[in-house]
Amino acid sequence: MRMHLLRRTGLGVVTNAVVVFFSAVCLFPVAWMAYSSLKTKAEFAKDLLALPAVPQFVNYVAAFRVGEMQIYFLNSVMISTISVVVLVFVSFLAAYALSRYRFRLNAVIFVLFVSGLLVPVHGLLIPVFILFKRLDLLDHRITLILPYIAFGLPLAIFLFESFIRSIPREMEEASFMDGASLAFTLRRIIFPMTAPAVATATILSFLACWNEFPFALVLLKTKALKTLPIGLTNFSGQFATDYTKLMAALMITIIPMMVVYFLSYKTIMRGMVAGAVKG
Amino acid sequence: MRDRLFAPRLPTLAVLLGPALLLFVAFVVVPVILAIWFSAFNWSGGRSMTFAGISNYVRLVQDVQFWKTFANNLFLIVFCLVGQIGLGFLVAILMYGRSLRLKEFHRTVIFFPVVISAVVIGFMWSMIYNKDYGLLNYALRGLGLGGWIRPYLDDPHTVMFYASVPVVWQYIGLYMMLFLTGLQGIDPTIFEVAEIDGASAGQRALHITLPLLVDTMKVAVMLCIAGNMKIFDHIFIMTGGGPGRASMVMAMYAYNQTFEMFKLGYSSSISVGIMVLSLALILVSRGLLRQKSA
Repeated sequence: MRMHLLRRTGLGVVTNAVVVFFSAVCLFPVAWMAYSSLKTKAEFAKDLLALPAVPQFVNYVAAFRVGEMQIYFLNSVMISTISVVVLVFVSFLAAYALSRYRFRLNAVIFVLFVSGLLVPVHGLLIPVFILFKRLDLLDHRITLILPYIAFGLPLAIFLFESFIRSIPREMEEASFMDGASLAFTLRRIIFPMTAPAVATATILSFLACWNEFPFALVLLKTKALKTLPIGLTNFSGQFATDYTKLMAALMITIIPMMVVYFLSYKTIMRGMVAGAVKG
Repeated sequence: MRDRLFAPRLPTLAVLLGPALLLFVAFVVVPVILAIWFSAFNWSGGRSMTFAGISNYVRLVQDVQFWKTFANNLFLIVFCLVGQIGLGFLVAILMYGRSLRLKEFHRTVIFFPVVISAVVIGFMWSMIYNKDYGLLNYALRGLGLGGWIRPYLDDPHTVMFYASVPVVWQYIGLYMMLFLTGLQGIDPTIFEVAEIDGASAGQRALHITLPLLVDTMKVAVMLCIAGNMKIFDHIFIMTGGGPGRASMVMAMYAYNQTFEMFKLGYSSSISVGIMVLSLALILVSRGLLRQKSA
């Protein structure tokens, strides 16, 4: 019995040690970046691991003043927000129609949308570029928003469709009986009831837009329109060897994500797993 | 009653479905068709566009460079199958056990890299790998292992290995959560019975957990394949495909042929190639996995 207990404690120690190691490996590079961004260049060169003697914000000041990170930041906020709001709105409407109405092309349209989950987005990079060039859609404010919405549709519609399906039809029936319009019923009854799926879709698609790189790289030329990931590549060109400044710029990019993450990591984890299982 | 309520008139249907359908067709379906269309031409972006039939595909099939980039994608897939699924499974098993403290904390921390932009991960790891100011060399020197220092991203023979590490690192948390979700679906009394019968932790993991997680494992494999066929950001930032073209992946090759070589017709056929190969890999692996479990 004692032997058994001893082995179990030993196993417990090993388990804890291994997991602590994994956590450290995942956390440390980000932590290193975070505190190094508060060091001066000279301080960093002297000892790249040491904590900052006195936290300095010079790198952040430079990232904004010289690197003009605020341009990219605002563009990212704007493009991600608009894309997500429109995406959620149109996906909700489409998913409602697909889950409630019986019409001839219902199954075909649903399969069309969901098969979008299988299309490798990077295969679309070049054709979308050519299409946008032809349509004179390159390098506008709306340029990235259009594909971002389109690429988000399959997952959002998939999430909404199955969720709306689980809402009893009596909800709408009661509402219609009271003389409410479809628009009112959708806005006041069905949409609020879909809230958990809306939260998942909102967060997942916001992450996807915020982090998206290749399309932003290919479809935009004007600096004033670029988003954070592209801004970072410009920035690193400017400050190639100036690590502390680059780290400040990287932190500016991920701090909003950190906030979103720590506010809603449960939704994010659940949503990502659901998205993976469905994709 | 029900039929009347849920049999919509065409205008209603058009309003509900129209916007989503329009956006999807315009920016997903049409580009797929365009890629196929343009791949039948020789075109450098200007006015002259000559019909080329299937010659672009003939060239694609014989293009050693293209298959090299495909091989790099395959390397990533295999590396990540072992690394991400292996480590993700290990961490999930450890997380599931009773003896772990601060579970919530560890789970949150290990998952965190998943939400960071791949561009940031690329820059971060470039700094970790840096010769003079890199964390890795600093650690190796500190441990007296200076002899282990390598030109990580500058050696064409090993660049794919070192470029794959950050990808594995970033997504361990995703696979961990995938397996944890799978584990939570298993009746815990199974483990209790096995434990009472004297099965060790290792035995339980191998003979009970693994077989019960077959479906989750399939999802993980599929995710790994799909995810690594579309890898671009990490490698673009870390190596730009170099040195030479040693770490170029398929999506980057299409990019390169378009924006550096201005071969739009040919890069369209590469795009079609990416789509076909990705789909084929996913379908083949799906078929194989289905057989195995049957």
